[in-house]
Amino acid sequence: MHERLSFHIKRDSLIHRLNPLTKLALVLALVVVAFTAPWYWTPHILLLLAIIPLSMLGRVFPEFFKTATRLILPAATFLFLMQAFFQPIGEDVIFKFYFLDITQESLMFAFRNAMRVFVMVSTFTLFLLTTHPSELMSDLTRRGLPGQFAYVIISTLQILPQMQAKAQTIIAAQRSRGLDTESTFLKRAGSVLPLVGPLVFGSLVEVEERAIAIEARGFTSKHAKTSLHEIPDLASDKFIRWVLLALVILSIAANLWLS
Amino acid sequence: MLEKIKNNFNTQTWVLIPIAIAINIAIGQVVVLLKLPVYLDSIGTVLVAVLCGPWAGALTGALSNIIWGVAVDPNALPWWPVAFMIGYMAGRMAQWGFFKEWWRVVVTGFVVALTAAIVSTPIAVYLYGGITASGSSFITAYLMQTGTGMVQAVLSTGFLVEPVDKITTAMLAFTIILGLPKRMVGGYPKANQVEVSGGASNTQMYIAIGVVVLLVLFAAFMLRNILGG
Repeated sequence: MHERLSFHIKRDSLIHRLNPLTKLALVLALVVVAFTAPWYWTPHILLLLAIIPLSMLGRVFPEFFKTATRLILPAATFLFLMQAFFQPIGEDVIFKFYFLDITQESLMFAFRNAMRVFVMVSTFTLFLLTTHPSELMSDLTRRGLPGQFAYVIISTLQILPQMQAKAQTIIAAQRSRGLDTESTFLKRAGSVLPLVGPLVFGSLVEVEERAIAIEARGFTSKHAKTSLHEIPDLASDKFIRWVLLALVILSIAANLWLS
Repeated sequence: MLEKIKNNFNTQTWVLIPIAIAINIAIGQVVVLLKLPVYLDSIGTVLVAVLCGPWAGALTGALSNIIWGVAVDPNALPWWPVAFMIGYMAGRMAQWGFFKEWWRVVVTGFVVALTAAIVSTPIAVYLYGGITASGSSFITAYLMQTGTGMVQAVLSTGFLVEPVDKITTAMLAFTIILGLPKRMVGGYPKANQVEVSGGASNTQMYIAIGVVVLLVLFAAFMLRNILGG
């Protein structure tokens, strides 16, 4: 259960050097195009001709491939199977099993939907592999995102692994006291409160202390804050963002116009 | 309007939000471990909504799903509007005084469940073509296969699955708030919303638990009817 919390891999590449906002725009643009472009093969082509080459350009292809096969592929496959079996569309039955039938149409439909979801999730993975969360946050804060949001995101990423470790400790402790977490349904349902209670109470105790601590560091101060790191935003970044915007508009226009 | 949003947020709120998000995720994972047919992944959201107000709750919900998607499981990402509305509705219900007694908490849970079912429908329909990667989609799939329209199938699955989860969530959040010392609740913007006059009665708690059990039985019965018929 110990998930790696930040996917980020520190390397030097063209993608790593892009401004975080440009990369975010790239992700959003790819997702919008995958979902709105009216041509059947768009998500497939995007994956082959954009996302995979980008991951190579970012020099994170091995990690990208690993995450994709471990995290995304199982969900996408499950989605594909469910949709292929259960979409009641099409006439041309290829395969029949009890009340389930696979038609050519449902197969195609399922393949595209699974691909769209795959594109959506894999672009985000690529983004996370090449962008450090605090880099993104300080860039967005510089552009006017309130500092409180940055605080929430960054400190969640810090607290979450601690909380997961704490949950493991509580489970182990309650088990050693004889709490039943594995047998009948009623016993398992009954063990929710003894596990949830200590976890929540234990973490809520910290709130007041933390509030005082960040208050003392000027959390609510309205003055502009200086930053230790300067994050470059080149003319090429701006250009890429405009091109992406144009692509998104074209894709949506094509969708409205052709369908 | 802006003032109403702003009064949800003081320093304590901002500190509580990351902790609540972590609570959502950690408890969600513990419940998966217990193999229970609920998610219970919005207890933190409901806590923030009740203690700090609807907008803080909505923000917590949305960020929970976004961070869950970013840090743990990317498939949680598209559902952030659902979590947003769960937080918002829980906060509104608390504002209307529906977080002070057990039966009112059950009503809150039910309203939140209906909201969640309604908001998740368009996402499931447009993004996934009705059938998502979650286990309850088997019900949706069966309904669609037997001739129910996609939207109705997704909605009825939601109405069947959500109430048990959300009522349990609301009751757990209420239990936690009842157990907190008064001085720990006092610093939040909407602390007065959860002041229980004269203590919560145990009889009511048992009735509330009974309602949940009945709902589970009802859902099981409906499932058997659907799958058996």
